Amino acid sequence: MDAEAAILIKEGLKLIGAGLAMIGAVGAGAGIGIVASGAVQAMGRNPDATGTIQTNMILGIAFAESIGIFCLVVALLILFVF
Amino acid sequence: MAEEKQSGWRWGVNRWIVLGLIILSVFTSQAYPPLQPHIQLPAENVSGPLFMLLGQPFYLTNTLVATLLADIILLLIGFSFWRSSRKSEGQALKGITGVIEGMVEVLYNLTESTAGKWAKTIFPFFATITLLVLVSNWMELIPGVDSIGVFDEHHIAEEAQCDITTYHVLGMELEAVVGGDSECSAGVVPFVRVASTDLNFTLAIAIFAVAGIQVVGLRAQGMGYLTKFWNTSTLFKVPMFGVIDFGVGLIELVSEFVKVLSFAFRLFGNIFAGSVMLFVIGSLVPVFAQSAFLMLEFFVGAIQAIVFGMLTMIFMSQATISHAHGDDH
Repeated sequence: MDAEAAILIKEGLKLIGAGLAMIGAVGAGAGIGIVASGAVQAMGRNPDATGTIQTNMILGIAFAESIGIFCLVVALLILFVF
Repeated sequence: MAEEKQSGWRWGVNRWIVLGLIILSVFTSQAYPPLQPHIQLPAENVSGPLFMLLGQPFYLTNTLVATLLADIILLLIGFSFWRSSRKSEGQALKGITGVIEGMVEVLYNLTESTAGKWAKTIFPFFATITLLVLVSNWMELIPGVDSIGVFDEHHIAEEAQCDITTYHVLGMELEAVVGGDSECSAGVVPFVRVASTDLNFTLAIAIFAVAGIQVVGLRAQGMGYLTKFWNTSTLFKVPMFGVIDFGVGLIELVSEFVKVLSFAFRLFGNIFAGSVMLFVIGSLVPVFAQSAFLMLEFFVGAIQAIVFGMLTMIFMSQATISHAHGDDH
């Protein structure tokens, strides 16, 4: 294999790897959805507790989102650093 | 009544001004089509080596400039707040300081509802982190950040075809990259790059926050705090569960280090991805579309700042509660 083809294949594999890294965002999306649905149901049952539920919901979303963000960081590292 | 009419008239004018700017941006983006953005992770040096630090030359990077700017902005806000609170003499504050007072009060009430009597200890950490991160996150919304800077031809790859124009303004030579390949935008080393897109900034705050959690825990519980990590109290009393408790303590120790990483990467990933998205949208659809994403980034910046501060605050208030006594969960 000549050098040029090797470089091209490396570039292509980098893109595929970055795409595969983002599969992990599925979990984060599902998690955020579950958190939000639970919070909305709780707010519907007890509208007075909306403030507390909202803060805790945002915290839960931040935790769930951080996994997705880790995937994003890995993808960005693959794309722009390596 | 007259005032309402006047405000209605002003809104009408603003609407037409916005429409005119949109039409203007259609023509300018046709005359100067936007460049593909050059995206890079590490911060760039905007100065030569300033001094030696531990045997390594110290450069002024563009994210460091942004951090210093955020510090200056916060100091100015604090100074104006101090001055107007002295002048007001117990009356309600007016203008921007009133807004800041309201924000700080919301933060303090949040701390008090979570941390109780430790609110006075925890609040400075929480407010400092939130405000610093908030100011440096919102810096990405300002036009010119990330795009105005020193021009350095050495950063552009050899084979790239660039269209560079030199303008003479007030005796200064201003060079603008007006067209060419995507590598050409690498030639601009911006003066200011959003501080949160540098892992050094987020990691520094994360280490500070997690160290602060340990400090607050030690202050609240004394040396008893360390039994959270090295739990031998039940090891000989109840052999089976004692071993599990000991293992849980070691996992707690690991989770403190994981907290640093998760704090740092959450902020960094959100804001870096956000600014990359702003670059890409701005270069793909240069007309109007970026406004919506600027709004999105406005919220993301605020939420990430609050989440960073609030997680610190919650971990700190958890650290003040002893788990050794009255453990019923």
